[in-house]
Amino acid sequence: MSEATLAESHAVAHAADAHGAHVSPTTGLSNNKLAMWLFLGSECLLFGGLISTYMLYRGRHTGSPGPAQLWDIPLTSVSSFVLLMSSLTMVLAVSAAQERDDRLTCIWLSVTALLGSTFVGAQVYEFTSFYHEGVGFTTSLFSSSFFTLTGFHGIHVTVGIIMLMSLVGIISRSKVPGDKAEVVELIGLYWHFVDIVWIVIFTLVYLIPA
Amino acid sequence: MAIIERPSTVPALAGGGAPQFVTPSSSYGVFRRPVSSTGWRSWLFTVDHKKLGLMYGGAAMFFFLVGGVEALLIRTQLAAPDNTLLSASLYNQLFTMHATTMIFLFVMPVTTGFANYLVPLQIGARDVAFPRLNAFGFWCFLFGGIFLNTSWFLGGAADGGWFMYQPNANALFSPSHGVDFWSLGLQITGIASLTGALNLIVTILNMRAPGMTLMKMPIFTWMVLVVQFLLVFAIPVITVALFLLMFQRVFGAQFFNVDAGADPLLWQHLFWIFGHPEVYILILPSFGIVSEVLPVFSRKPLFGYKFVVFSGAAIGFIGWGVWAHHMFASGLGPVSVAVFSVSTMLIAIPTGVKIVNWTLTMWGGKLRFTTAMLFAIGLIVEFTIGGLSGVTHSVSPSDTQQTDTYYIVAHFHYVLFGGAVFGIFAGFYYWWPKVFGKMLSETLGKWNFWLMVIGMNLTFGPMHILGLQGQPRRMVVYPEKLTGEGFFNLHFWNTVASVGSYILATGILMFLINVLHTARKGAKAPLDPWDARSLEWLTASPPKAHNFDVIPHVHALDEYFHLKYEEVDTDAGPRLVKVKTAEELLAEQEANADEHIHMPSPSYWPMIVAIALPIIAYGIIFSKVLAVAGGAILLLGMFAWSLEPSVADDSDYDPPQGGAPSKELASV
Amino acid sequence: MSGVEQRVSTVRFVKQRSGIVLAIVAAAVMLGGCARNAPQDTFQPAGENARRINNLQLPVFIIAGVVFAIVLGMVLFIVVRYRDRGQEMPKQTHGKPALEIVLTIIPAIILIGVGIPTVSTVFSLAKTSDTQCVINVTGQQWWWEYEYPVQTCGGVNIAEPIVTSGELVLPTKVHVLLRITSNDVIHSYWIPKLNGKRDAVPGRIHPLRMEADQPGIYAGQCTEFCGLSHARMRMDAVGLYTADFATWVANQLQLAPKPTDAMALRGEDTFRTQCSRCHQVNGLMEENADGTNSDKPVISFPDLYVVAGNAPNLTNLMTRTTFAGATWDLLNDQCRKALHDASPDKFGALYLKGVTPDCFNEADLREWIRNAPAKKPMYSSEAQKAQNGGKYRGMPNLNLTDNQIDEIIAYLLERK
Repeated sequence: MSEATLAESHAVAHAADAHGAHVSPTTGLSNNKLAMWLFLGSECLLFGGLISTYMLYRGRHTGSPGPAQLWDIPLTSVSSFVLLMSSLTMVLAVSAAQERDDRLTCIWLSVTALLGSTFVGAQVYEFTSFYHEGVGFTTSLFSSSFFTLTGFHGIHVTVGIIMLMSLVGIISRSKVPGDKAEVVELIGLYWHFVDIVWIVIFTLVYLIPA
Repeated sequence: MAIIERPSTVPALAGGGAPQFVTPSSSYGVFRRPVSSTGWRSWLFTVDHKKLGLMYGGAAMFFFLVGGVEALLIRTQLAAPDNTLLSASLYNQLFTMHATTMIFLFVMPVTTGFANYLVPLQIGARDVAFPRLNAFGFWCFLFGGIFLNTSWFLGGAADGGWFMYQPNANALFSPSHGVDFWSLGLQITGIASLTGALNLIVTILNMRAPGMTLMKMPIFTWMVLVVQFLLVFAIPVITVALFLLMFQRVFGAQFFNVDAGADPLLWQHLFWIFGHPEVYILILPSFGIVSEVLPVFSRKPLFGYKFVVFSGAAIGFIGWGVWAHHMFASGLGPVSVAVFSVSTMLIAIPTGVKIVNWTLTMWGGKLRFTTAMLFAIGLIVEFTIGGLSGVTHSVSPSDTQQTDTYYIVAHFHYVLFGGAVFGIFAGFYYWWPKVFGKMLSETLGKWNFWLMVIGMNLTFGPMHILGLQGQPRRMVVYPEKLTGEGFFNLHFWNTVASVGSYILATGILMFLINVLHTARKGAKAPLDPWDARSLEWLTASPPKAHNFDVIPHVHALDEYFHLKYEEVDTDAGPRLVKVKTAEELLAEQEANADEHIHMPSPSYWPMIVAIALPIIAYGIIFSKVLAVAGGAILLLGMFAWSLEPSVADDSDYDPPQGGAPSKELASV
Repeated sequence: MSGVEQRVSTVRFVKQRSGIVLAIVAAAVMLGGCARNAPQDTFQPAGENARRINNLQLPVFIIAGVVFAIVLGMVLFIVVRYRDRGQEMPKQTHGKPALEIVLTIIPAIILIGVGIPTVSTVFSLAKTSDTQCVINVTGQQWWWEYEYPVQTCGGVNIAEPIVTSGELVLPTKVHVLLRITSNDVIHSYWIPKLNGKRDAVPGRIHPLRMEADQPGIYAGQCTEFCGLSHARMRMDAVGLYTADFATWVANQLQLAPKPTDAMALRGEDTFRTQCSRCHQVNGLMEENADGTNSDKPVISFPDLYVVAGNAPNLTNLMTRTTFAGATWDLLNDQCRKALHDASPDKFGALYLKGVTPDCFNEADLREWIRNAPAKKPMYSSEAQKAQNGGKYRGMPNLNLTDNQIDEIIAYLLERK
């Protein structure tokens, strides 16, 4: 959905900018950026709901392993750090895009995608090892809500990676509709958001004991 | 190579208006773009906010009839005690789907249709910010609604009530696929609401005509803005709830499995955190509509515009802090109950402000009782009844007597039928000439109004008595022995309510007859039949594809009124004098028309992406293969969409934009 | 304005006013037209808790009525006074902030006036410290079970737990506290004349105060939608003077005597083979090979057969006046009317007589035993059993012969 919004605002430029004399009252943000901020605001409530569900149910796992038995904090810390670093490379990609350096933009975007993939890879590994320890999606209230929360986040990261890779592909073919730097920035906003959500999840789910 | 057809929208300027064909040179896209501007293709692939608004309205009215038939079946069953017309199972499906249909497939989309059609016109814009996203939203709503209703033919509809309380909606207690259809269908229509909300907020905040500050914005647009913010934050909450429900039923998650230690109140909190803002999502657009209609037919500005705006925003804000008043009997502690009781009373204040302002708008005016005005006045009276009965159960101890009885059914039908639906009908009669260029018959309109008023009061009025005298909701039968004694016993009032529902249905039938009658031999509408006040009336009727030949500059609230009228000093003090007619204003527009107007181009992708969603949903219920196929369509569609520019390239237009100026208006 | 137009507008106006008059008449008829003696009327409290609610809601309804009258009066006045009679274009006033503020403050003051007693009533209705008797209430599809734990209930000693269903028997003028929960989905316990409703949520226990002023039967219904037979999940509360309540308690604690009647004796056999897997009858014993009773009690295992894991205890069925979720009467119409109309002083004796053969409503019970799911929709066919994870929801059709039904009815008629 968010991908779909990217190329939209061109129409507006045509439809509304016929007037130079009067400046139209706007928020000062471009349509795309405003929409992305609103979308992320909406996403906050989505993760808010999922996190609340997890917090309510994290202690309910009678007869099967719970957080204390499952967490591998060193591994998760490393993968969290990797995801955090990807925000940095995303910033570098945005600044390269603003300097209109396509080659560097592509490089940083690829690095970001790579770091994101590492995170997702670690998550897949983590899920598999939990499964082998006897904790599947349907095992307990704790496991259902844990897999749902982190799974939703993982899907968000995956969607981000797909967007990054698509962007690399179309930048290298110079086919970005609209303002190239803005498209990079939009995906950057999304990426940072997903990152921040992970920091919250990591703190609440992994670091604070149930 | 796409052929782009450009029918001229201003025949006088384009020399006869014959469509011209040009060959674009650099359009992206996997396939060629759709180009039809006539025929069914022009509707199927349109991104025009007006066409989409009409389709929203049309589809919503269809679902209104579906929900209405469900309501009539319910009332027929309840006409007498111990009736055996409907089985318990069918009855449970009917009341579940009646509510779901009326809320999600009628009131929400029909008000979205109004917003889609009118907001760009009211703020002096040529389209919404994201035209293809707009189309996508419409198709999601339509396909989601159809998907939801196909459950009737695929093993039975959802039977857990529209609130779908857990664990009663678990697979164990509701074994048909109905609830799966319900959760997935609402997920799809939820996408429609969310994308629509993002789109309209950006449109309203970023695309107002020059000079239109927020406090010069028409009140309908204001209410739409508040509603869209509510949607942006309420939809994700129901999304979470629906996902939990779906995971529970389809993938065996534990969320509502009490044996595993689940708390059924989790669902209630999630549902009502969405569900209460939802009430304001349903009612505020209608508040906006009557706030437009009352001033026009009172020939006065809206009394206390700022108060109405702020009270609307306040309702939107406080609306987030009252959800647990749906749960006064759920077993919350006394502290929560007391807090939510008081916050619920608080919300009556801004609502009261609106009633007061509407009344004072009429005060001292020059009232014309057109059908639109009658519906607006009807709303003031009927909604007041609903609002006051709302206050009686904000008193939580009383609510423990009233909740889940017919008293609540009476309350929210006065709010939603007497409020939201009356507002919608006021809007139909008010804007019909603008949208279709023809006047709805006022005679049939009066029949429509009075039958609806009498019908609704006969249907829902007795429900106050039924509820207060102890008849609970959601019961397929009620026994004679609980109906009391005397002629006016509960059996009598149930029969009255059932008769009333048929009168109400006749009223709505009058509307349909009126629409058909108008379409066949309705009188051509004058440009400004009501002497209106806001910018949408500055356009042709129906509006041109690009709305405005030239974007107006706004100087005042009620800009259009001030273009027509000026205050002139006379011996008897200042007097309002009409200085320009609507025709003169439109002619001015056309004379100064912009040279290049590039409207967003039609696209296949919104519809293709949207149709992938029900395919995935059927797949989740019936077959994994289908889900994968749907997923593939979704991904491909999204890729193709994001690679397609929203407007055809400049060089696709002839003559090119950089070349010699052309008076032609491209609308592709 | 031309004459024709004026006439049209007058005609229109008269039409409109007649509509409004009609609406007022309709409203008056409605207010004057309430049912008399509706068993679940929320405005006829018969106990302290419901009375508190009623004292709160009455003034609120009056205030709401007055506010509505003012709004309606305003609208009517404006509609008449300011209708288009060809007057000048009105002045374009945009509002009077001072007036608006006043009109915002007035409802705020009214609501404060409503809010304070509301909050105090909320807390007084949540009080549990003055409890004199505790009854555990459990909802399941689609009937209520009551368990009286060992205690001194309003001065009456309950030496062993009592389990009954359908009718909540409570001593009058005693602060009873219900502890409400559910075995399956959410239900809601509501006896309108005694108190507001409270949801029965599985996994949670919710308290609800109950007190009846006078002996009598107070009707109630499950009010949270609970699936297929939600409409047929009812209950009654029965108030008894303390002395009568003591008699009732003593009777409930007696074990079922061995049937005397020959038919009933055969019924015991049939009951043992057909019914006792789910329905407990305290005092029913396993049978020895020679047909005499062993000293081994028959224990029911409803948890193996029904989703809710529970079925009504039938030890004292005929001390109750209803069955199957309090939906059908065990008393015939005449006796039922006599009981419901009995004066408070006579009620106890009549109720404690239970269902006598001359008062017995056999027809409904017979239909029920013959084919329960045909009488009350339940998920208890063999096909539905498969969907329910191999258990019934509700009572299945046991395909009994007429003879077996006769025997069971004879047996049940002695369960007092």
